[in-house]
Amino acid sequence: MAVNPPTPPAVATLTCAGCGAPLSIRAPGRSVVVACGGCGAVLDAQSADHQVIARYEARQTVAPRIPLGTRGTLQGQTWEVIGYLARRSKVSGVTYTWFEHLLHNPTGGFRWLVEYAGHWTLSQTASAVPSAPGGLAALEVEYRGERYRHFQSAKAEVSYVVGEFPSQVRVGEQADVADYVDPPRILSRETSPEASTWSIGEYVDGDTVWKAFRLPGAPPERTGVGAAQPSPYRGHSRTMRLLLAAFVGAAVLIQLVFSVLAQQRLVLDAAWQYHPGVPTTASVESEPFTLTGRPSNLMVEISTTLSQNWVYFTLTLVNEETGAARTFGREVQYYFGRDGDGAWTEGVPWDRAYLPSVPAGRYVLLVEPESPRPVNYRVRLTRDVPRTLWLWLAVGLLVVPPLFFWWRQWRFEQRRWEESDHPMAGSSTSSGASADDDD
Amino acid sequence: MTRAYTVFAGLVLATLAWIHFTGWSPSNVTEDKGVPKSVRDNPGSYRSSYGGARPYTGAK
Repeated sequence: MAVNPPTPPAVATLTCAGCGAPLSIRAPGRSVVVACGGCGAVLDAQSADHQVIARYEARQTVAPRIPLGTRGTLQGQTWEVIGYLARRSKVSGVTYTWFEHLLHNPTGGFRWLVEYAGHWTLSQTASAVPSAPGGLAALEVEYRGERYRHFQSAKAEVSYVVGEFPSQVRVGEQADVADYVDPPRILSRETSPEASTWSIGEYVDGDTVWKAFRLPGAPPERTGVGAAQPSPYRGHSRTMRLLLAAFVGAAVLIQLVFSVLAQQRLVLDAAWQYHPGVPTTASVESEPFTLTGRPSNLMVEISTTLSQNWVYFTLTLVNEETGAARTFGREVQYYFGRDGDGAWTEGVPWDRAYLPSVPAGRYVLLVEPESPRPVNYRVRLTRDVPRTLWLWLAVGLLVVPPLFFWWRQWRFEQRRWEESDHPMAGSSTSSGASADDDD
Repeated sequence: MTRAYTVFAGLVLATLAWIHFTGWSPSNVTEDKGVPKSVRDNPGSYRSSYGGARPYTGAK
């Protein structure tokens, strides 16, 4: 895109016929009217005597965010601010005001730099009329192959005007406006009794505007989410999905590898009886067995013939070579019955536990049962058993960050549409802002 | 965000592999023996599960 030389265009000066204030015409030949911000007079910019063609009472003077005559480079072209107007609309009793800077470039024509609540868009007249298959009341229109969703419709009124414009502009002038968005672009239709025009705009960061026009200080703070503000999450959503799929796949792969490589070897399968008061059954010792390989878990399974009863097992795994012992207790209870609520059960007649990180070696298992009634029981020990519990826990953890990310993405869009005619489910009616939505 | 997620996921996967390799478990294998006597003597006073699909309606 060609960059225009920074030579200032010719400026014509005149005196306001209403108050005598000096006025400038920065786009002579193109500007149709010149508005005096001091007295509210709108002068004919094209006649030699610059007659007053409209007048309004300038109750207050609004200082443009970017002073008239300021020049800056945006999107590769040099622009000069030649006009400024404030517009407002009233929706549900609330007045919304936004500000439009008219930019001019001798070869590039005109652009509108619109600011609302710290959000900026750079607009120009659309090069084609968007198609609306469902009519002008449709919720979607299509422009150059892109679909735009209806955001808001309102009646806008000019509340303040200063500078020069290529068309008739006066305070109190009303028009029906409708905005359609496909962030970062916004398509606007403006309908007045005389004409209907479309403009296409693109979101511009406030800092970019400030740097472009070399303005002092900082741009006005953003409030909420702008209609055309690009979502900082949109570009990462697909990456997040791919990462989630890759990490879950990796977790499943790790699980499969260890499942295939795991020994899963039955090292002890013994059955005993317990009789209260019989010392020989109060403590039993298994035959020696050998655990091999790296330190890994040992699955302990106990099955019993319990019925309406309980039994507590004190088990001790003793390494015959080192003398190291690991004692642990397991309780099994099983009750069942039927009452007015129907059949019920409490507990199960079996138990399963995993001893973590048991080193290789030659072991025996000591079992000391305790129960009020006789019970038959069986103990099985299996070496190195992969547990799917860890896979589920890992998947659960891996899902959390993407869920948080997608919730933030959804929240961002929810805040965008809060001020539209189509708020998303769960939107509040207020338009409070938070800094994290603006990052 | 994606970078932080990648680091986080790497830690989760490394932990998963380490747990499988060592057979580590964070839970205590020993169960308490102190089940209240009233429960043993009065089976069904606390019912953790029902044979039917009825909702829990309170202790007996």
